[in-house]
Amino acid sequence: MSLELLKDHETVRSAPVSEAEALVDVRRLNLWYGKKQALYDISVRFPRNQITAIIGPSGCGKSTLLRSLNRMNDLIPGVRVEGEVLYEGVNIYDPRVDPVAVRRQIGMVFQKPNPFPKTIFENVAFGLRLMGVKGSELEDRVVEALKRAALWNEVQDRFKKESGLRLSGGQQQRLCIARAIAVEPPLLLMDEPTSALDPIATQAIEDLIAELKRRYTVVIVTHNMQQAARISDRTLFMHLGVLVEEGPTEIIFTKPKHPYTEAYITGRFG
Amino acid sequence: MNRSLESSPQAFSTDPWKTRIDRVFARALLIPLAMAIGLLALLLGDTVYRSFSVQVVRADEGPGKTYPFGLSANEILRQELLARGYTEEEVRFSLQDPTERRVLLLQNRVELMWSTQDGPFRYVVTGLRDERVADFSLAEGLRRWNELKANLKEGERLVLNPWLDQSFLTRTPSRSPLTAGIGVAIWGTAWVLSLALLIAIPVGIGTAILLEEYLREGTLNRILEVNLRNLAGVPSIVYGLLGLALFVREFGLGPSILAAALTLGLLGIPVIVVTSREALRAVPESLRQAAFALGATRRQVVFRVVVPAALPGMVTGVILSAARLIGEAAPLLLVGAAAYVPFFPNGPMSEYTVVPVQIYLWVSMNIPEFSRVAAAGILVMLAMLSGLYLMALYLRNRFRREW
Repeated sequence: MSLELLKDHETVRSAPVSEAEALVDVRRLNLWYGKKQALYDISVRFPRNQITAIIGPSGCGKSTLLRSLNRMNDLIPGVRVEGEVLYEGVNIYDPRVDPVAVRRQIGMVFQKPNPFPKTIFENVAFGLRLMGVKGSELEDRVVEALKRAALWNEVQDRFKKESGLRLSGGQQQRLCIARAIAVEPPLLLMDEPTSALDPIATQAIEDLIAELKRRYTVVIVTHNMQQAARISDRTLFMHLGVLVEEGPTEIIFTKPKHPYTEAYITGRFG
Repeated sequence: MNRSLESSPQAFSTDPWKTRIDRVFARALLIPLAMAIGLLALLLGDTVYRSFSVQVVRADEGPGKTYPFGLSANEILRQELLARGYTEEEVRFSLQDPTERRVLLLQNRVELMWSTQDGPFRYVVTGLRDERVADFSLAEGLRRWNELKANLKEGERLVLNPWLDQSFLTRTPSRSPLTAGIGVAIWGTAWVLSLALLIAIPVGIGTAILLEEYLREGTLNRILEVNLRNLAGVPSIVYGLLGLALFVREFGLGPSILAAALTLGLLGIPVIVVTSREALRAVPESLRQAAFALGATRRQVVFRVVVPAALPGMVTGVILSAARLIGEAAPLLLVGAAAYVPFFPNGPMSEYTVVPVQIYLWVSMNIPEFSRVAAAGILVMLAMLSGLYLMALYLRNRFRREW
């Protein structure tokens, strides 16, 4: 499974997404960490109000691709990007675009729950405060986000006093989701959101993600193929920084076209 | 394979020698701890013991003459000098010239002090006299108490003198150990320390934030890192020399509180930078990522997330560096903490002395009772340091964070 074999690989596509359906349109994206290239010529469209899963073995560039959708990679010194990422038709790598404004539009949930050492209320209010929301509107939207993240019932009697760090791991992750969706981002990026959680908490988060699909477009990176199969509408399979195959989830998991995809799905490498 | 199966009951039994060695080792580790605690207890006990003594004092001389409050110090000096037979002209000359006036006070021909016995509203003027007749250590004094009591002469009395009493904390220094106090030095320390921290905290924390949050990967950062660690290890007397050359001489601040505060501020900056950087570094990267992902600018990330999360660590660092600055005597001796300051400091340009310098001077006096005054001073110093450490401990526990 060497890089040489994939070098000029043309992504195998089943049921491609039309330009009109796409919220995000990645065009010939190349990315380097210093001298090392991490993404090779990625072109893919993420459809609106659907869940797209990115799978692939460790180090294949899943997270890198995800983080280039909201320019989080800019924070790493020595990163160089070529190509375009069109979000609602606007190239977010255009020099006139402010990465801070991009990140306000796009929510992100991380692998490990990372609540701020503040109260539950302040955690959720953080993004809203950055946008200048104040007073009773702030409070309403915090409560709304907690409800939508299915955390409200558990914390409603203490959310203004208790620190976010006092919650359990699964609750912390739902708090992080509430924090991300409080600002109503059209696009929600999730970087292995359940890999640090136990099966029951994972189940709760997966239910939540399926629920979120109605309002948001979700891109989720996952290590867990069953999870991708369970919750996603489309799946991307990446290997060594190359997008090998993409298509509707049932096709990727039942009739993969590329031999690498098949090998990975059937567990022959990974 | 077979053998291990046969010996399997023994596989779980303990090796008696290993257990024994373990136990001896664990006990041996207690020895240095016991030595450290023992030595500290000895030191503290000795200091407390020395701060008590049994004395024979002559009671008839009293505290001196009292004057009503509101009379200027100069007027009191004038009257006192006239009463001692100086001519009007001599007195006027002495009082006009600040150096002369200072010499008068220094030589203890006239000593001004806040009254401790007659209420706070009078000046007490004492002449040069030595009330002490005899001074005994606590053990000897108590053993010979009855014998000494029987041998008292007319007008003398026997007292158990705790040198560290309430008035010791408010009195001014004096040539006589009986009336010497640490009040002026405490005020001097408070002035110098608060001004020094006023300089060192913004500079130190600002530098730490700049280096840790803005210039993380730069060459400048690496150069400064090495230099800061070196600076934090430079002997404090070197800072004293710098302060003498720069602040006292070059800027012409003279032996003032401001010069001392600037010198101590410089001394405190590297320590504050290093501890604050460690506090900032302890804030997990994931918190910064979370804030950035929500669309915060770098300034918002730093001041809304990172600094609040690092604050307890920073505060602890500042308090520990303050504790270090309180104990510094060497650099202040160089930049002019004075030997004898009879007045409370009243501004950043006034003369001052600080507690450790005062203790150092008392220890080097040749009147034996001053060692008792010094012991009392050391206890005051220890109390101040313990207070600061307890504050640091409290703050650390109060804001303890689990990530």
